[in-house]
Amino acid sequence: MDLFPRKNYIARSSSKPMPGAYAFEQIIAANIDQVLPVFAAADPEPRWHMLDRCLIAAESYGIPSKIVITKFDLVQGTPAESKLNIWIELYQSIGYPVIVTSSKTSQGLENLRQTLADQHSVLVGKSGVGKTSLLNALEPGFGLRVQTVNQSTGKGRHTTSHLEMFPLQDGGALIDTPGVREFGIWGLNSTDIAMFFPEMASLLGQCKFGLSCQHDEEPGCAIRQGVMGGRISPYRYQSYLRMKDDL
Amino acid sequence: MRTYHKDINADFICKQCGYFVNAQIQISGVVNRNHCPYCLHSRHVDLYKPGDRLCACKALMAPVGLTLKRSRDKYTPDNHGELMLVHRCINCGGLSINRIAVDDDPDMLLAILKNSAKDRSALLNECRINSIRLLEAIRHRHLVQTRLLGRPADLWVEATML
Repeated sequence: MDLFPRKNYIARSSSKPMPGAYAFEQIIAANIDQVLPVFAAADPEPRWHMLDRCLIAAESYGIPSKIVITKFDLVQGTPAESKLNIWIELYQSIGYPVIVTSSKTSQGLENLRQTLADQHSVLVGKSGVGKTSLLNALEPGFGLRVQTVNQSTGKGRHTTSHLEMFPLQDGGALIDTPGVREFGIWGLNSTDIAMFFPEMASLLGQCKFGLSCQHDEEPGCAIRQGVMGGRISPYRYQSYLRMKDDL
Repeated sequence: MRTYHKDINADFICKQCGYFVNAQIQISGVVNRNHCPYCLHSRHVDLYKPGDRLCACKALMAPVGLTLKRSRDKYTPDNHGELMLVHRCINCGGLSINRIAVDDDPDMLLAILKNSAKDRSALLNECRINSIRLLEAIRHRHLVQTRLLGRPADLWVEATML
């Protein structure tokens, strides 16, 4: 076994082990080419704010992200499909590729295979979204253990409890990670965070408050004007404010 | 979609008049305290529905008139809806309809009804676009006084003189 030099990594803030304790940096994976935040179209319901956190974390470490939506068969042909499409279009308009998949119907798996080929990728997402099922569908030989979502709580059962890297037939490797309940941002402060929202970055320093603008109450703030003008989604702006408050 | 509900019902200091406003439901009688009970000004913070806090405008919203909430029951007479306050954003001109709280100043509400007659054509046009029917100072005075004070003010004055 060789230990390679660390060229990059992605980390999250750990959940606090007890009230009053300090969170610490939890490195998820190192030497990776892309991050694949995985979200289910339904069961469990997608949490777009958590997706934004994954994307911002990846942006801050300079690693490209591609969004994977699983369990598309659950919403296909229902009113939820059109709602989901609005979110997909939003993230595509920002510049994030979105791959819609279904492990049951094999939809989007070929597209995902091409995305993963010759790349070292890491899957991150909530428990029960189907990260391991996706891996089983991609490489049936793995036969990894999966479980259904708990019908009482609507949450995953934390079936995958350790992190493991699987080599892929088309080259590259895929790192399967245990599901997370939250994705805390590590190593950023509240003034930096807007830089990692691609649609906001070009507007930074464009108002009279310059780089010291907090983009919250300042009159004439360029980012708020961008939201009002439809250039930035109000949901993304709200996500930004929420992240800023949490830091 | 979960939205950002932090401090949605927190007490606040009015940006217009500077008074401290208590947002407790026991005092205001409404779930979302969205305007000052003294000057009746609000802030443009909601975009699609009350409490979503998705609007980035955040400017002051001035009270511009009163209206009646439409009933879903098509057989209900037009003037049976709840009395509502119409706000207009001083920055972007957006309109919103808000519930009147228990502790809102009734004299201010009557003054708004009276003053909404001024510069009415532009306001009426905006309201028409947004399907809002503004109450008129002369025609609806009796109705508004009855809703706010329990009986028309003239009758109340007569009753106290007896």
